[in-house]
Amino acid sequence: MPEVLKAPLVVEFPFTRSLGPVQSAFLTGLRERVVLGVKTTDGRTLVPPVEYDPVTAEEIRDLVEVAPTGTVTTWAWNHEPRRGQPLAGPFAWVLVRLDGADTALLHALDVPGPDAVHTGMRVRIRWAEERTGAITDIACFEPYDGEPDQPGGHTGEFENPLTGIVAPARLDYTYSPGRAQSDYINALSAQRTVGERCPSCRKVYVPPRGACPTCGVATWEQVEVGPRGTVTTYCIVNIKAAHTANLDIEVPYVYAHIALDGADLALHARIGGIPYDEVRMGLRVEPVWTQGARHPDHYRPTGEPDADYDTYKELL
Amino acid sequence: MTREIAVVAFAQTDHRRSTEESSEVEMLMPVLHDVLDRTGLKTADIGFTCSGSSDYLAGRAFSFTLALDGVGAWPPIAESHVEMDGAWALYEAWTKLLTGDADTALVYSYGKCSPGSVRDVLTRQLDPYYVAPLWPDSVALAALQAQALIDAGDTDEAALAAVGARSRADATANPHAQLTGRVPQGDYVVRPLRTGDCPPIGDGAAAVILAAGERARELCERPAWIRGIDHRIEAHALGVRDLTDSPSARLAAEKAGAFERPVDTAELHAPFTAQEVVLRKALRLDGSVRVNPSGGALAAHPVMAAGLIRIGEAAARIHRGASDRALAHATSGPCLQQNLVAVLEGDPR
Repeated sequence: MPEVLKAPLVVEFPFTRSLGPVQSAFLTGLRERVVLGVKTTDGRTLVPPVEYDPVTAEEIRDLVEVAPTGTVTTWAWNHEPRRGQPLAGPFAWVLVRLDGADTALLHALDVPGPDAVHTGMRVRIRWAEERTGAITDIACFEPYDGEPDQPGGHTGEFENPLTGIVAPARLDYTYSPGRAQSDYINALSAQRTVGERCPSCRKVYVPPRGACPTCGVATWEQVEVGPRGTVTTYCIVNIKAAHTANLDIEVPYVYAHIALDGADLALHARIGGIPYDEVRMGLRVEPVWTQGARHPDHYRPTGEPDADYDTYKELL
Repeated sequence: MTREIAVVAFAQTDHRRSTEESSEVEMLMPVLHDVLDRTGLKTADIGFTCSGSSDYLAGRAFSFTLALDGVGAWPPIAESHVEMDGAWALYEAWTKLLTGDADTALVYSYGKCSPGSVRDVLTRQLDPYYVAPLWPDSVALAALQAQALIDAGDTDEAALAAVGARSRADATANPHAQLTGRVPQGDYVVRPLRTGDCPPIGDGAAAVILAAGERARELCERPAWIRGIDHRIEAHALGVRDLTDSPSARLAAEKAGAFERPVDTAELHAPFTAQEVVLRKALRLDGSVRVNPSGGALAAHPVMAAGLIRIGEAAARIHRGASDRALAHATSGPCLQQNLVAVLEGDPR
């Protein structure tokens, strides 16, 4: 079996999220070193507070301040912190019920080792130096052997309350395209375009995905197609690409579906070497390769007479 | 009159640490062909198709639409997808068959955990305001639950290790399992959970065919009739829940009729050993019930397929006469947040 193609793939996205009134008060409170809970109609205090009662789904808005001290309700020792977690060195994950609250908050506890943590132990919040209105404004918890702090009776009204947060997310992958697409990519690097024929309907798919989407059967018979082909349809692009790889392409340009000779599915590519307003259905084109590229840079006219409509009408 | 609906066929891949040589559809297609072959049906004969998967696992956007290449979706088929475990896709297919709109359904799901880090990927399903910014990984959250159980006196580390050992010993009879036989309990991953308390990370796929009434009897010698199926969810905030119990699993089981008569087999979707302890209690499974004869999720855990596999394994035991009444369970979310329970029965022998 040929070597499996692999490449790193990073999916990164800053999610911009709006806050409801309770979430806004809680996160703004953290910025001001105030911890707020919310009262349910049956008299419990939820920390962290939510907008709707988790049992009855009632809208709840009655904010109440709780203490920055509390009790560990369960814990787990994390000897190897992962990216993004609250502390860089080993720490305990803890659920902490703050004094005045009836529910527990998830966070990190900074202790030297697992022997220094137990359920029922007393802890208090260690505030982050720089606070922006985020759960990470709590840097972590730390052991505390004093009396429970008295909450200050804050109403939850703040100047400049937060209305939203930006939550960055990043996941790292090693992408591998699978057997059929690896074969396709490997052939392209030798400037050959190779599709696969369905054993049932005999159609040749380019690029191949290893399955015939009509018949639902595996494809494996390789068929070299092109290099020449026919423009089946096209559009004129008037907006400059934002992607850095395409910054050199002047607008307007033509992007087209091209049925390579021998293929039963059109692929798409840019058309060059001809004024954009002279591209037409039926235009015969061929790939233009640049040095070291793993795919054609664009397609250009071959100079042949245009293809007859009947030869490509099934491929539109 | 409610229609009788049964699982009539089940197929799954061998579950492996990596399937980097295959795309999702290449991994899935043999399973689709296998499950269809077991009934003699062609894709064109299927009334409704429903799948479950998550693009986050492999970081491959719209992979579920590409996976449709494997079912032959042209001319257009009646199809749906859930971004959940395939057990919930089965639930949707079951409701579709109940309406009478279709007599047969193909349900499939797949999970490719190998391209990413599933521990981190699963943090993205958590509350994005208060929890996800802390990146608590799936093992850490399961470890908090395990410690709560230990503190409550419901289990200890030795009992947890025994759950893992029993599962992998049973899995030696399951040719599809990834982790079988004697496996060292290993070091702590996140204490109190050790390697042996955690599921293997791997890729795999599964498929099930459902059929209604007489159609089921035509397609399968001993259909696994779905006598009841229900799913329930708890609050997303971990600190609101009693992590030592699973009221949602219990309620789903009650609504599915699981407590009306004893079951002889239970396939539980408990990716972490401590979760089996919670589920046995919530589902009232005593020592007379054969729990996870397949080895369960501790022997193979293709995320998004592992729940559907529980239903498939339970049904397959009924098909071959090894069970008369079985409970199948699937879970989703951290610390058993959401639970689905199905009760399957074979015709009297």
